[in-house]
Amino acid sequence: MKPLAPRHRTSARTLLATGLITSLALVSGCAKSEDDTADKDKGSASQSEQGQVVASPSTGSGPTCSIDAYGAEKIDLKSATVGFSQSEKEANPFRIAETASIKAEADKQGVKLLTANAQSQFSKQISDVQDLIAKGADLLVIAPLNSDGWEPVLRSASAKHIPIITIDRKINATACKDYVSFIGSDFVEQGKRAADQMIESTGGKGEIAILLGAAGNNVTTERTKGFEDRIKEKAPGLKIVFKQTGEFAREKGQSVTENLIQSKPGITGIYAENDEMGLGAVNALKGAGKKPGAVKIVTIDGTRNAVQGIVDGWIDGVVESNPRFGPLAFQTLDTFTKGEKVSQDIVIQDSAYTKDNAKSDLGKAY
Amino acid sequence: MLSVNGLSKSFPGVKALSSVDFTARAGEVHALIGENGAGKSTLIKVLTGVYQPDEGEVTYDGAPVRFATPLQAQHAGISTIYQEVNLVPLMSVARNLFLGREPRGRLGLIDFRSMHRQAEAALRDLGLRVDVRRPLRELGVGAQQMVALARAVSVDARVVVMDEPTSSLEPREVRTLFGVIRMLRERGIAVIYVSHRLDELYEICDAVTVLRDGKVVHTGRIAELERLRLVALMLGREIADVRQEGLTKFAGGHDTEAEPVLEAQELTVRHQLHDVSVSVRPGEVVGLGGLLGSGRSETAKAIAGALPTDSGRVVVAGVRVRTGSTPAAIRAGISLLPEDRKAEGIVPGLSVRENIALAALPGLSRFGLVDEARIDRIVETFMERLRIKAASPQQKVGELSGGNQQKVLLARWLAMQPKVLLLDEPTRGIDVGAKAEVQKLIDELADDGLGVLLISSDPEELIEGSDRVIVLKDGAVVEELTGDAVTEDRLMRAIATAPAVTATATGEGTGPGGHDD
Amino acid sequence: MTDLTLGRVTADRERLLALLQEYGVYLGVVVLFLVNTVFTPHFLSTENFRTQAVQVAPVLIVALGMALAIGSEGVDLAVGSVMALSTSLLSLYLGYGPGIAVVVALVGGAVVGVANGSLIAFVGVQPIVATLALMVAGRGLALVLLPQLKDVHDPAMAELGSGDALGVPYVVLIAAALALLVGFVVRRTTFGRSLLAIGDSRPAARLAGLPVRRVLILVYVCSGVLAAVAGVLATARLTASDPSSLGNLMELSAITAVVVGGTPLSGGRIRIGGTVAGAVLIQLLTTTLIKHDLPPSWTQIAQAVVIVLAVYAARERGKR
Repeated sequence: MKPLAPRHRTSARTLLATGLITSLALVSGCAKSEDDTADKDKGSASQSEQGQVVASPSTGSGPTCSIDAYGAEKIDLKSATVGFSQSEKEANPFRIAETASIKAEADKQGVKLLTANAQSQFSKQISDVQDLIAKGADLLVIAPLNSDGWEPVLRSASAKHIPIITIDRKINATACKDYVSFIGSDFVEQGKRAADQMIESTGGKGEIAILLGAAGNNVTTERTKGFEDRIKEKAPGLKIVFKQTGEFAREKGQSVTENLIQSKPGITGIYAENDEMGLGAVNALKGAGKKPGAVKIVTIDGTRNAVQGIVDGWIDGVVESNPRFGPLAFQTLDTFTKGEKVSQDIVIQDSAYTKDNAKSDLGKAY
Repeated sequence: MLSVNGLSKSFPGVKALSSVDFTARAGEVHALIGENGAGKSTLIKVLTGVYQPDEGEVTYDGAPVRFATPLQAQHAGISTIYQEVNLVPLMSVARNLFLGREPRGRLGLIDFRSMHRQAEAALRDLGLRVDVRRPLRELGVGAQQMVALARAVSVDARVVVMDEPTSSLEPREVRTLFGVIRMLRERGIAVIYVSHRLDELYEICDAVTVLRDGKVVHTGRIAELERLRLVALMLGREIADVRQEGLTKFAGGHDTEAEPVLEAQELTVRHQLHDVSVSVRPGEVVGLGGLLGSGRSETAKAIAGALPTDSGRVVVAGVRVRTGSTPAAIRAGISLLPEDRKAEGIVPGLSVRENIALAALPGLSRFGLVDEARIDRIVETFMERLRIKAASPQQKVGELSGGNQQKVLLARWLAMQPKVLLLDEPTRGIDVGAKAEVQKLIDELADDGLGVLLISSDPEELIEGSDRVIVLKDGAVVEELTGDAVTEDRLMRAIATAPAVTATATGEGTGPGGHDD
Repeated sequence: MTDLTLGRVTADRERLLALLQEYGVYLGVVVLFLVNTVFTPHFLSTENFRTQAVQVAPVLIVALGMALAIGSEGVDLAVGSVMALSTSLLSLYLGYGPGIAVVVALVGGAVVGVANGSLIAFVGVQPIVATLALMVAGRGLALVLLPQLKDVHDPAMAELGSGDALGVPYVVLIAAALALLVGFVVRRTTFGRSLLAIGDSRPAARLAGLPVRRVLILVYVCSGVLAAVAGVLATARLTASDPSSLGNLMELSAITAVVVGGTPLSGGRIRIGGTVAGAVLIQLLTTTLIKHDLPPSWTQIAQAVVIVLAVYAARERGKR
């Protein structure tokens, strides 16, 4: 005998269930979180942010691109509409700062900005960009989720001669034909600089561990490559004895480090490929009763929490991966639309935080 | 047209069909009947290619054939219409009609206009006027069945198998269906018609084949077969053999003057029960007779709250019980031993002990905690009293024999100290020794003052065990046998009665429906 | 003669297999423990046991709720999202003090449980579908409430996460207490007994008059609350609320622990001891591979192997 729940009662229960969820959402209205005021301070502090600085001069070395070569028409940036497609949810400091920077710069320049967020779904990003084009974007700034699969978008953009700038990740296409230029960090270089910091902090001797990022991610492989190459080259005394993934997450970084410091109590340093895993490692060291500085930690990204970690003495160095693409992106667009040449590959100059500048530059961290 | 010779089919431990001969002729409606387990469905499944015969051969159109899959049988022109319509509810009526063989236009696309036109024509032929663009599920069950039938006919079927096609139809829809069947017959299509409704069989069928225990016990023109004889054949009781049993040992032994402990009044469940009233006095065993599908199990389930009723009342010891709620019925003192012991009765993975204590669990706990000592006492008492043979109370019920499983279920209900016991086929599928034990137990329980409602397909058991027998047919009470009338002969006559006679008995006849208030 | 010996051999093999299914998970734990004792430096230390126990606690707590759901012939895929939701709520309400914040977080878990249970018991949605819906919705809601990682500075929460009583971390004490409690509920309460009967044969339980719907709802409420507890403890340990990554793939770890622990997916039986051992087994396995610095892909492969073995065992159980 099949269950025969009377229909009307059923729908009433469903309603009740949905109602409960909705009320749960409403409940958050009267929420009171721990440090509401501190958040506001933070907000105002980040107004003092600084834009990026180009590592390689924009028209110096390397291939360049001009509006004639690209086949677009000159327009005045001030009267143009710029479309921005973000790849991931603004749920981590990097993405938040990146989007905020683009928006702030558009405001400052008085440019009309259309934005879209792909929520980590590549198919959504493709349709996002097509939407932006349909809505009348004259110029596009894209933070790509993937490097491949952009043909449909590039085709519709080139049909309308819309210049595209990609930021933070590259797309696999021909520069100055399919897109104008790429602005981003050099992840291998970031790894190398982290290695330099590690060598300095440890004196070039001892055993070190790497907390890898998520597997199969180009950021992970490049940051690892740069670090390992530089260590091998400059400090043969430093031995990498441990390499495990912390999946770019604080919790995973913490649990992996807990295991690490038990099986290898003599570990000298930990290189975390992002700040979150580094902060997890700090948690683990605290839990194990270690003193600040007993294990040298070097991380990459430059979030406020990590820089605070330097001030507190737990972290030795943070290599910045600057998310503030706004000023440079708009400057590049401006130069390009005026008809001048821009570089196809614009590598930005990431700064670094050490014990010397952490306190003073805390406001610069995102 | 389609026939089988010397067909045998076995499943592990069961011989489902043995040396069956069966012939469906063109332009003939052939009734295929038999009680549960007689082999009807196995035979149909062999004919339609679901099963392969172990022995014997299938001849179609004069040549031996072997259908490896149902699809092959379908392509050869054998269509089956099941009780449950097997179409796609979300697709339009027309799509359903032409599923898999849609008319194609240029470019290989479906030519919807031509499809809709053809679909309308095909349904009009069957006397059905519906918008063929609407999704199938918006149609009534009867209309859906018509669509299934139209599909069967339009694929140029030459044999149509109908498995209980009227079980969920309104009387008006039954009329239409019969019209269609007659039309099929005129077109020279062979129809195999499976049903338990005798009146329908006599109305629409030309020939009949009766199966029992996997064997053909009769085949011939239906007009030449008396109703009573047909029932006797199905139940396996030769009329001449029917002993004039007279009274059972209970008759007169119980106080028939006592107020009924159970009164079920005018229970109605759409398509299943129509105004069924049953009353049971304390210490009385009341039998529920009738063929498979007559509403016996449904009556028991409706009383026990396991089948929601559309109308009707259940009163236990003068107190009205909420229908449609098993817990309410149990609280009132009604216990049901379900027909399907393995699926609905025992909890196979739990121990004998847990199974016995299951229904009584809420009563055997304090603050949600189980009172283990009391459970042990109850389990011990009933294992001894019912002579349950298990290695220990901790043994899994699934490992016990059928008879012992049944006793465990009886123990579960007796632990509730019920006022009324509803026993649905309590001795089916258990060995002879255990059967006698269970029957003896039923006697004892009635002697202890319980009201018992006994359902059995075995006429002997029903007659021997019951003080009174209520005979059901097509979901309605057709006769109540009391006193000297409780005999197998009377039982079978009641089952076989033509509707004209029963009309006076129930005031309603067998016309189903019309009670949905 | 040969037939006879052959018969005995297969019988022995079957008994061995049955034993392995019954106690295989404990054997696995013992073997891994011994292997580590011999091959892993500094394995036999209080500190290490403490770390392992603390790390396994959240998975274990979630697995306890999962065991109830699986025992009722269902599954709760929403547990990971409930953890995220509870960490969001915790962070949002911490302003009222840790006590109230924890209560709100647990209520959040219970509400998701009620939603799951209602969908399953009243609407008749299959557990895997119903909880999948709440899995997506729960994570989404968690991120709406708290879009990004937020530090927790409350000292009481920090103490909960890393403090201890008599050398045993609170987190571990709570997990152990909950394991005992759930074990007791399953064995000794009417709820536990009804739950098993419903998991084994729902029609029989319904006809026996058991309150099937009420029990099912309660099962998912328990699972939701336990997941919320795990979320709170994980937050306390991390001293941060991270709804975007907390509890990711937790449902898979929990199901693995339950299944490896010998609870059949077909319902009707719950092994709490086995579930604890299952969670410990997976923890030890991961730890062993991390401590020996084997490539991360190995961890995934090893987990896959354990799951395949468990499913194989479950299949054997199903045949009997």
